[in-house]
Amino acid sequence: MSARVGVLVFPGTNSEDETLRACRAAGLDATLVHWNADLGTVNALDAYVLPGGFAYEDRVRAGAIAAHDRLMAAVRDGAIAGKPVLGICNGAQILLESGLVPQLDGVTRAQAGFARNAPLGKFRSKHVHVKLTIAPDRCAITASLAPGTVIPAWASHAEGRLAAQPEVLARIEREGRVAFVYCDSSGATTPDSVPNGSALGAAALVNERGNVLAIMPHPERDAWTYMHHDSTRERARGNATAMLAPSGGFVLFQGLAAALTSV
Amino acid sequence: MIRCLEVSLAIPDNEARTALATLQRLGIALSALDRSDLYRCDVDDDEADGLVATMSGLETIYNPNKHVLRVREDARPGPGEVWIDEIGSGNENGAGFVRVAGRTLEGVRSLERFTAWRLSDAAGRPAGAELVASATETLLCNPAFQKAVTR
Repeated sequence: MSARVGVLVFPGTNSEDETLRACRAAGLDATLVHWNADLGTVNALDAYVLPGGFAYEDRVRAGAIAAHDRLMAAVRDGAIAGKPVLGICNGAQILLESGLVPQLDGVTRAQAGFARNAPLGKFRSKHVHVKLTIAPDRCAITASLAPGTVIPAWASHAEGRLAAQPEVLARIEREGRVAFVYCDSSGATTPDSVPNGSALGAAALVNERGNVLAIMPHPERDAWTYMHHDSTRERARGNATAMLAPSGGFVLFQGLAAALTSV
Repeated sequence: MIRCLEVSLAIPDNEARTALATLQRLGIALSALDRSDLYRCDVDDDEADGLVATMSGLETIYNPNKHVLRVREDARPGPGEVWIDEIGSGNENGAGFVRVAGRTLEGVRSLERFTAWRLSDAAGRPAGAELVASATETLLCNPAFQKAVTR
């Protein structure tokens, strides 16, 4: 029996359909799990994906209310048990607010956050690339990727700037919790490649155990050839099969599938 | 001269309602929770009287159809209050003027912005320090990038 993945839907989540599609295209038995789902069913799932959007309208702070949602009890228990958890954009914000990432010293309360973009504090939607900056096997979801893999994605958020107290940031860097950093298409990390002023150029963080990944940009929004911004789309023009083939950001969902296959 | 302007919703505040419901569900015994935006300004004496008129003309922060704007008597948190400040965004001082919502505020030497929360305990009284701290730590403030100011 294939592993079952729950794509969580809170009130205000808006990216569940394309996230579900990417999961299923990667061979995962994925289903939408709404905020009022039976917790017994949720607890029985093998992995969780928290998609993007504006859960609870980002009231108080992005991810703050959802971090206390009843579904998160199942996610927390699952994370402690070693189940893979992938949070994308708002999902990443929820994971940081709930303390499941970065989880320094095993502490599960908020130690970092994704704050308002710098310098303007405004919503920004920009095509980006992110580079795997940890050893692939440091994180279950990236274990099947090559070192230094560059993934295309869309940064589409107003609160994507990694922020924490200086000593926490230092530990996040020292302890290898930054899983992906912003880069250009060639993998070069430059100040211009960071769309939101994120500390350490961080686009994604991983927890202590390596089973929870919180990534701000959306890989599912650049997961099919027809979505790409480079020559691969042009080369596929006129070839429907090639145009509709999964690629690019899709590798992260392949990584999630590989992590569950290896369990 | 320090002037503290407070902008509150005159219509139901869904954000405060959601925060209250969440805190109550987590066992924090509050009966009410109110929210407002604060602008604490250090303003030249001769510009102080015009500050309210200037701020009430900034449509992105004050809409007379749904907001109430008042000058607080006290420029510090009151009983049962906690003010949330986003670290690094409080003071936009510069060159003798400050810009808010793209408009220049003449004579304003510095400006700090806060989100103010007013907490009432189960009996409807201003919440005590312990209750305020519990609500703050549980939901209202992420210390990674915010700081909470109380009386």
